[in-house]
Amino acid sequence: MHKQRSIPRATTSIIFLVLMFLGVGLINPAFLDINNILLSLNSGVVFTIVAIGIAFVIITGEIDVSVGATVGMTAAICGNFVRDGHPFLGLSIAVLVGVGIGVINGFGVAYMKIPSIIMTLGTNGIIRGMIYVYTGGRWIENLPMEFKSLSQAQFMGTFTWFYLLTLIAMILIYVVMNRTMIGRYFRAVGDNANGATLLGIPVKGTKMVAFMLSGLFASIGGIMYTSRVGFITPIAGMGYEMKVIAACVLGGISLSGGVGSVIGASVGAAIMASISRILVFLGFPSDYDNTITGILLIIIVVFDSVIQHRSAEKMRKQRLAAKVVHSETASEVREHA
Amino acid sequence: MLNSKSITKRVFRWETFLILLLLIEVLVFGLINPRFLMPRVLLGSINNFMTISVVALFVTLVLVTGGIDIQSGAIVGLTSITIGVLWNDVGMNLYLALVIGLLVGTACGALSGFFVAYTEVQPMVVTLGGSFLYSGIALLITNFSATEAYKGISGFPEEFSQFVRGRIFGIIPHQLLIFLFLVIITYILLHRTKYGRYVFLCGVNKHAATYCGIRTKQIVMSTYVLSGLGAAIAGILLTAYLGTAKTDLGKEITLPVITAVVLGGTSNLGGTGGVIGTALAAFVIGILRFGLSLANVNTQYLDIPVGILLVLAVAIRFSGSNPTVQKFIGKLRRSKDLRKNN
Amino acid sequence: MKEVHSDSLLSVRSITKAFSANKVLKGIDLDLNRGDVLALIGGNGAGKSTLMKIIMGIYQQDEGDIFMSGELINMSKPSIALAHGIYLVPQEPMLFPNMNVLENIVMGFKENPKTLQKRLKDLMKQLEWVIDLNRKAESLSIAEQQLVEILRGLLRNSNILILDEPTSSLTFNEVKSLFKIVEDLKQKGIGIIYITHRLTEVFTIANRVAIMSDGLITLSGPVENFDYDMLVRGLLPDEVTMAEHSTENKSKPVDYANAKPVFEVKNLCGNGFHDISLSVYAGEILGLAGVVGAGRTELATSIFGQDELLSGSVSIDGVDITGLNTRDVMDKGLSYVPEDRFLHGIFGISDVATNTTSSKLRNMSKFFIQYKQEQEITAQYVKLFRTKVTGHDQLMSSLSGGNQQKVVIARALATEPKVLILDEPTRGIDAGARGDVYAIIQELKSKGIAILLISSDFEEIVELSDRALSMFSGKINREFSKNEITQDNLMAAAFGVTKGRVVNA
Repeated sequence: MHKQRSIPRATTSIIFLVLMFLGVGLINPAFLDINNILLSLNSGVVFTIVAIGIAFVIITGEIDVSVGATVGMTAAICGNFVRDGHPFLGLSIAVLVGVGIGVINGFGVAYMKIPSIIMTLGTNGIIRGMIYVYTGGRWIENLPMEFKSLSQAQFMGTFTWFYLLTLIAMILIYVVMNRTMIGRYFRAVGDNANGATLLGIPVKGTKMVAFMLSGLFASIGGIMYTSRVGFITPIAGMGYEMKVIAACVLGGISLSGGVGSVIGASVGAAIMASISRILVFLGFPSDYDNTITGILLIIIVVFDSVIQHRSAEKMRKQRLAAKVVHSETASEVREHA
Repeated sequence: MLNSKSITKRVFRWETFLILLLLIEVLVFGLINPRFLMPRVLLGSINNFMTISVVALFVTLVLVTGGIDIQSGAIVGLTSITIGVLWNDVGMNLYLALVIGLLVGTACGALSGFFVAYTEVQPMVVTLGGSFLYSGIALLITNFSATEAYKGISGFPEEFSQFVRGRIFGIIPHQLLIFLFLVIITYILLHRTKYGRYVFLCGVNKHAATYCGIRTKQIVMSTYVLSGLGAAIAGILLTAYLGTAKTDLGKEITLPVITAVVLGGTSNLGGTGGVIGTALAAFVIGILRFGLSLANVNTQYLDIPVGILLVLAVAIRFSGSNPTVQKFIGKLRRSKDLRKNN
Repeated sequence: MKEVHSDSLLSVRSITKAFSANKVLKGIDLDLNRGDVLALIGGNGAGKSTLMKIIMGIYQQDEGDIFMSGELINMSKPSIALAHGIYLVPQEPMLFPNMNVLENIVMGFKENPKTLQKRLKDLMKQLEWVIDLNRKAESLSIAEQQLVEILRGLLRNSNILILDEPTSSLTFNEVKSLFKIVEDLKQKGIGIIYITHRLTEVFTIANRVAIMSDGLITLSGPVENFDYDMLVRGLLPDEVTMAEHSTENKSKPVDYANAKPVFEVKNLCGNGFHDISLSVYAGEILGLAGVVGAGRTELATSIFGQDELLSGSVSIDGVDITGLNTRDVMDKGLSYVPEDRFLHGIFGISDVATNTTSSKLRNMSKFFIQYKQEQEITAQYVKLFRTKVTGHDQLMSSLSGGNQQKVVIARALATEPKVLILDEPTRGIDAGARGDVYAIIQELKSKGIAILLISSDFEEIVELSDRALSMFSGKINREFSKNEITQDNLMAAAFGVTKGRVVNA
């Protein structure tokens, strides 16, 4: 009747991912070739790192649709400096810009009480325009070979270093978020902001940090993007925000906050990145990509909502039933002297 | 906290502000480039932002109930390609195809609306999924066509395009009249009918609305149905105007649409706002972009002022309910009273 | 101002707090010393929870000071209260639904998790409470959630522990073990404020008692100085605050012998109430007394179609309305004025006219809003109820509580019901408006409407009712004929004291 131990939602997503891979493998065994699987995962590294960042924001119960623009902007900055021979400067400035965008978003949402959808929609537009200002509308190309090859470097012929580092970061973050007191603040704020206030948890500060992390990881994603793709157009990163939000939802993170983990975000990103490859291997043209993503998203979210509401309804009825005293079960009747 | 001015007066003030903005824009841009003031040019600019304006009108209803809809862009493209394929490859009568296009858009809205209203999923996520789904379906439909997806289907009959592209006396675009017609319809629907009143009540206080016997679930779902219909109408207009049916016609309209609705005075929390504000705001944004482009500002930079406008507009409105701001205003008032008494 | 001793753990002086036009606290003075268990009792709306939230830093007082050990403290946020060793165990559990029990309990603690867990396990053993620490909070029953909240409070080494109705869902054994711990804490010198509706608990656990009524502390002192009757009487307000209005009953007394009831409820069972039977006659006011949680509102809202009915029947003039949805119930002639005006009653950012016609709208026309008719109806009720508005277009949220309530009642009447259920119609309203509302209710009675008056303001029930019932823990526990309706009787029955016997949950 009551769940004794709840299965972490990321686990369900991992199972789904594995089943998905196995299912495809049954139809087309070439898919289960180890190199192919690695290729699938490695190709999703930018999605993964950005999804990890946005997971912080969503877990606190907010949303950030400016991450795609942040990826594009930081990629442009990084590309520019790398091409001109100042890689470390470029990396540093890109990261600072990413965090700065996060600070602006965080300030608007946490302190000015602007709804996060609107705030980040606004900053998204502004940043997209700024990219054109910064790049003059031109592509950034001719990046040095050494930089571009960074994305290809593999750890013992398996994961790329980029993906490996992402996985390590994901594990570290997971540990911090679940084992340290401060790490748990994110979930607490998203789960019950009023309850968190009652316990003295700084709700505004937590949200600010979440947005800063989102910007930070988006900037790292932008740097990785620069290395992987090798050239940056002014529309780089366009549409990423929707894909990583979908990745988080697929990975078991609820948009209402308090539920989910960065592991789920990574798994969801892996699912999103694999879908097009999977379709190829199943013999479908990549045209089905969006359709499948859309159906998946809707099914998962509706399912989740229905289950949640069922249990909430049950709780409510139990609560009311508890208040009714049945004379057959009255335990004590005391005489007042 | 709220002063006792009535709601109509408050909205009236915001819309006056928008009209003022519009006039300032026309003045400023006219000074920079006098060509801007030529009726032919000024009115003709409307053609550039018609899609966004039409969609925004209908999305307003969704936001009034406190929801959000980000799938309209996908529905625009889906409607367009459906019409194109039905007319071109299936050989259907164009007008029949248009009707089916409208039905398709409406059905898309109904699906998402159903989930929002009856399973209480967050509108953001469902319409996000919807945007993937409907744009995906649009792409699949092109597989039924001989024409490649990127080319789009062309060759529509002259009257079809002319109806939308034409101008009265060579100056007033047909689309302006069509738009005005739509504004009147949505205005009557939202502000003059029982239904519209229900939409507002659901947005102001859904619980209280159920206590009044209002069928809130039906009302909420209906707003998404209408939003889908609006996107379909916009898709038809755009297809006719361009003379081409393509899957990605509505690709980048989400931000401008939401900006227009919010800037127009509709709060994303629901319960306030209106179509007149949305229409005015859509014009403010559209004219802003057009004027800047005529002033030789690169088209790609145009999102910056729009984004800033959005954030400022919302910040100003929300700062009214910010406790720090309230305390500050309270202090100002008290010090003013003290000075008066002295 | 009363002097503040430097050895009193907590002292508050002259605390006032108002929400918009509604004055909830009108000047509270309170002291808590080491080893005190101060029982704080009072009716609904007396302001107890508000006062506790101010002490905890969740709200800020409009006027007044908070002292701890003689030192003035600015309680601007909960973390300050926590730092000073105050902890509030809320009345409604505020757990994190998606975290497990252990995470919920240790959230916010700064000490080593291992030692914390050990202390928790020891505490649970001491209490003999068994809960699986790994269960997700949302799967807990409300009683279990309450236990978790209490554990949170006990685990903190607070100097001051505030328990807001901690036992409302607990079993007898759980309550017993809680009291053992409270005794323990008392010995250790911890100060406890204990809010409760159950008068027996006052005598079991507390050494001091304070009675709050209408925003003020009316009586306080050592528990030995009080007995049941004194407590009950202390809960009633001192003066009878009635504004001038004509109370001459224009209505004919109901001829119970020959008339048939308009509104009949038979053995009705639903979520929160069990086996309810009552009937209301035309032109009669039936009072329904009780405390919050007794099940009266659940009864009304379920009849009104907002929740399912499990068994039994409801009818109007013989027509069965059991299980109908809200719209149909209204069509059949029953209107309900919601208990929580703010949550379920008012459309805050809409104007007075919209609020007045929102229920009637459906029947006013086919498609278009009939503005003229809307204004006429609004004008009719504004005049009739003497509602103070600057115009029909005034925003609802800027009206005073009393005038808001008049509009909500007008809305319920606009559909011309045969049966009207009023749920706490004068909560949060000042005396003047209260008088107006009473006059309105009397007027309705004379027009032949059958009225069910749900109220926790027993003075009101005495003033208005022809007959009365009281509900306790989901069931009707006493009936009163006209001359039996006194505040003493109602109060006693509402708190479960029936004829000198105390019934424990």
